[in-house]
Amino acid sequence: MSRGPRTSPPGSGVALAFGLSALSSIGLTVVYAFGGQPQLEGLLLGVALGGLAVGLVRWAQDLMPGGGYVEQRDTEMGGTLQSDAAVRLFERGEEEVQRRSFLGKALGAALGALGLAALFPIRSLGSAPGTSLVVTPWADGIRAVTIDGEPVRPEELAIGGVLTVFPDGHPDAADAQTLLIHLSPGTYRPVTSDREGWAPEDFVAFSKVCTHAGCPVGLYQPADHRLFCPCHQSIFDVLEAAAPIAGPATRPLPQLPLRIDTEGYIAAGGDYSEPIGPGYWSRPRA
Amino acid sequence: MRHVQGRAGWAVKVLTALGAVALGGCAYTSNLTSPYRSQEPVADGPERGRVLYLRDCAWCHATDGSGTGRGPDLISGTNGAAMTDFMLSTGRMPINDPSEPTRLSPPSYNPAEIEDLVAYVSAFGGEGPPVPVVDSEAGDLALGLELYQENCAACHSTTGVGGALAAGPDPFDETLIAPSLIRSTPVQTAEAMKVGPGTMPVFGSETFSDMEVNSIVRYLSHLQRPDDRGGLPLGHVGPVTEGAIGWLVGVGAALVIVRLIGTRVGEE
Amino acid sequence: MLRQTAGWFDTRLGTSAFVQKALTKVFPDHWSFMIGEIALYSFIVLLLTGTFLTFFFDASTSHSVYRGAYEPLNGVEVSDAYRSVLELSFDVRAGLVMRQIHHWAALVFIGSIVVHLCRVFFTGAFRRPREINWIIGVLLLILAIFNGFSGYSLPDDLLSGTGLRIAYSIALSVPLVGTWMAFLLFGGEFPADEIIGRLFVVHIMIVPALIIGLLTVHLAVVWRQKHTQFREPGRTEGNVVGSRLWPSYAAKSVGLFFAVSAVLCVMGGLAQINPVWLYGPFEPQQVTSPAQPDWYLGWVEGALRLVPAFDVRLFGYEIPNPFFPAVLLPGVTFTLLLAWPFLEQHFAHDKEAHHLLDRPRDHPVRTALGATTLTFYTVMFVAASNDLIAKWLGASIFGITLVFRILILIMPPLVGWGTYRLMKALTASGAGHLSEMPLAALTNGASADGHGSRVHEGKAHTGDGHAGDGPAGNGLGAPAEDAHAPRG
Repeated sequence: MSRGPRTSPPGSGVALAFGLSALSSIGLTVVYAFGGQPQLEGLLLGVALGGLAVGLVRWAQDLMPGGGYVEQRDTEMGGTLQSDAAVRLFERGEEEVQRRSFLGKALGAALGALGLAALFPIRSLGSAPGTSLVVTPWADGIRAVTIDGEPVRPEELAIGGVLTVFPDGHPDAADAQTLLIHLSPGTYRPVTSDREGWAPEDFVAFSKVCTHAGCPVGLYQPADHRLFCPCHQSIFDVLEAAAPIAGPATRPLPQLPLRIDTEGYIAAGGDYSEPIGPGYWSRPRA
Repeated sequence: MRHVQGRAGWAVKVLTALGAVALGGCAYTSNLTSPYRSQEPVADGPERGRVLYLRDCAWCHATDGSGTGRGPDLISGTNGAAMTDFMLSTGRMPINDPSEPTRLSPPSYNPAEIEDLVAYVSAFGGEGPPVPVVDSEAGDLALGLELYQENCAACHSTTGVGGALAAGPDPFDETLIAPSLIRSTPVQTAEAMKVGPGTMPVFGSETFSDMEVNSIVRYLSHLQRPDDRGGLPLGHVGPVTEGAIGWLVGVGAALVIVRLIGTRVGEE
Repeated sequence: MLRQTAGWFDTRLGTSAFVQKALTKVFPDHWSFMIGEIALYSFIVLLLTGTFLTFFFDASTSHSVYRGAYEPLNGVEVSDAYRSVLELSFDVRAGLVMRQIHHWAALVFIGSIVVHLCRVFFTGAFRRPREINWIIGVLLLILAIFNGFSGYSLPDDLLSGTGLRIAYSIALSVPLVGTWMAFLLFGGEFPADEIIGRLFVVHIMIVPALIIGLLTVHLAVVWRQKHTQFREPGRTEGNVVGSRLWPSYAAKSVGLFFAVSAVLCVMGGLAQINPVWLYGPFEPQQVTSPAQPDWYLGWVEGALRLVPAFDVRLFGYEIPNPFFPAVLLPGVTFTLLLAWPFLEQHFAHDKEAHHLLDRPRDHPVRTALGATTLTFYTVMFVAASNDLIAKWLGASIFGITLVFRILILIMPPLVGWGTYRLMKALTASGAGHLSEMPLAALTNGASADGHGSRVHEGKAHTGDGHAGDGPAGNGLGAPAEDAHAPRG
């Protein structure tokens, strides 16, 4: 690189850089010995390494023989003569093998069988999907409980309130996480006649797992009764049985039928209206 | 040449017109507000709440708080003392023009004036909760973290900086934002939970005990002065600013360095 | 001493011939050839810091109580993975700075791979005989992205857990085998306990081993085929002009290693990255907003946000929406990238070997296609922040999304067309550099097209000639091999 006129002797900058680097390393030791501090550690480490960098590069640029060397390329690379010879050698061996073609086929069969057998351990990696994507622990009469296992009475959630609930006894069932919502009185609209009794005392419940990519649909806006998924911005309308009204989701959030049990707690009236969560190849149609 | 001049003249006319509209708009807005909100202070006294209410609020909310076509009533739902205090102390009310969105801004009244207004509005008989008493020291930090993550983080972000909400599906809808909680006072936080202002759900006393509210407030006050042990917080919004810094500072610096070490074409 | 050691090895392995050749090997000095080295040295920083981190990280979702300096979580039961990352960040001396250097290095590693790929693409350095190294390079990019994501997912915090949740849903979306694939990868229905332990093995062993293997081959192929170089006096298809490995190029390259490490260390110290203590531990029913992945997956995230709501239903089976942006798009992207050298050979009818590089203007169609593609991915990348943009601009999220949906349709062709015109004008003007081109060349490019290229043909090397290009003059290219001329 071109540089301006120099006043100090060449190499002094290099020595200065190396010296700064050494000082910084000593400083790093001190900082570490006194308990460490992330910002100082990073900065001192940076200066120690940066000093080495500046020193080496200046040394190479100012004091070492630079560019202008010429090296010839191998012109024979990619030539065909030697590869022809290699192919002939391979084919001579292949003829020997093909004379015993039956043995060759038997070898192939044995290797193929071994290859198939070697695939079986893959099966051990996980359980079979079975019905686990279709059913959840919710069933008729199972109470809705908070993450701490507390059952919920209708009077414990104000109008406009929302609570994440789980089936009693399964507070870790990620596929059964449910949004319990207290609607304004009289606003529930069943989309089908069988859903008429699903909202006792203006409480509705929907799966919290987004039908697009599975994020928890955690944002509830009671003023416009919308649920919003923060991952890819799908919006669901709670008064339209959580049908998607914007964003990439294509299916409503499955609804959980609710009832009030004999002791006055909110319980499920069955499993969800359809399989929860994102779609997959063999997902049964609702 | 004539053609160019003609075009320039046309541009000047358009600009003038635009300027006139803009100025007229300002004048229009200020005309609208001045009769209803005077900036003169009102003397302290038993009548201050009423005077302020009639001067600044009644035009939209009616003299008895029953609401008008311009603004909602102050009695139904969770309206009442806590709601009034929240709206006034966060500067969301008053607004000059009923079509304006309510925004977090510096309060228009001093605390004593707000107290008088809250007392006057609560006398309308709103059923909403009273202004809560909060003692964050009585809360439990770990419980607060758990409750915050479970109930607040989805909208206000785990770091409390807030986030966008579902404003749609019409692309020309005005924006909805879960506001940043970084400047929220303990009382304002508790009020918001209890009354559910705007599009926020209600997290009332049926759902959260005083202890739980205190805990959430305590964790929030920790988030307001978070432990940024790693250095510059980069806005606490996660990978977006990190990626920008990674490219602009990280990859950028590395490219400058190789440019300094290497040569260009025609340069030895 | 040195002599003795060299002799000891030489008598046993016959190394001296190779060492002689290696020490005098010539590397071109152009700065753009060192972009790949940025990636290489970021990777070495990743290995060094990563090794330190493995000694403290506990890849398990079993629960234990964190007791340490971070007050809000002190005494709280969390997963071992999350607890060990908290300890690394607050209780292990120098642990946080190592974690942050590691994370910044990952961002810069993948970033510099992308810049390196662009350099190779726009200069035509992938042409025969370098198709092999292009393929290896693309595979390295895929592995780097994959390892970035697996590392990002390890701390078991709320943000990374949300990312894993989306990854699981993407695996589910694959036709026919999706459910089995998701269950075998994750060990069962999400959130299965096995995934963190598996990702750890993938992150610290399997993928790094593959990267090291492919990287070794990548470098060996560069060594064998020698570097490309730009067209300059003395540089021909048959030679390489530059600095010798020993000592000049080695000093500069080691210097670059220290410089890259220095940048990453300063970033790791001063700029906080992935503060998992603020995000909190992962719970499947919790979520945070905004939620984005690290930048290298931003384009997939943006595509997930931009694709309109649709599913495909065939004979009672379903191909769900995420399949298209998150499986099909990356699949097509990387397939086309891998196939590019062969596609260009086919369509440009050029199967010749090239060691002299194109300037972007020498091949305007390729340059325009590259610019189009980059624009396409950049729009998707920016769209991944649509919620933050909406918040910052105070606009509706769906307004912002609509704008991006329009931009992704009109911007790529527009940029491509503009680039094509710019390259043509640049050639026509005969300017040595973009900054030297008169603005008029762009506006009356059409008339200058034929005229200019005729005038400046010789100077601008626009011809496609590849044998014995340019005179080997200036005292540089003396015919004798390795002739050295001191720098001017």
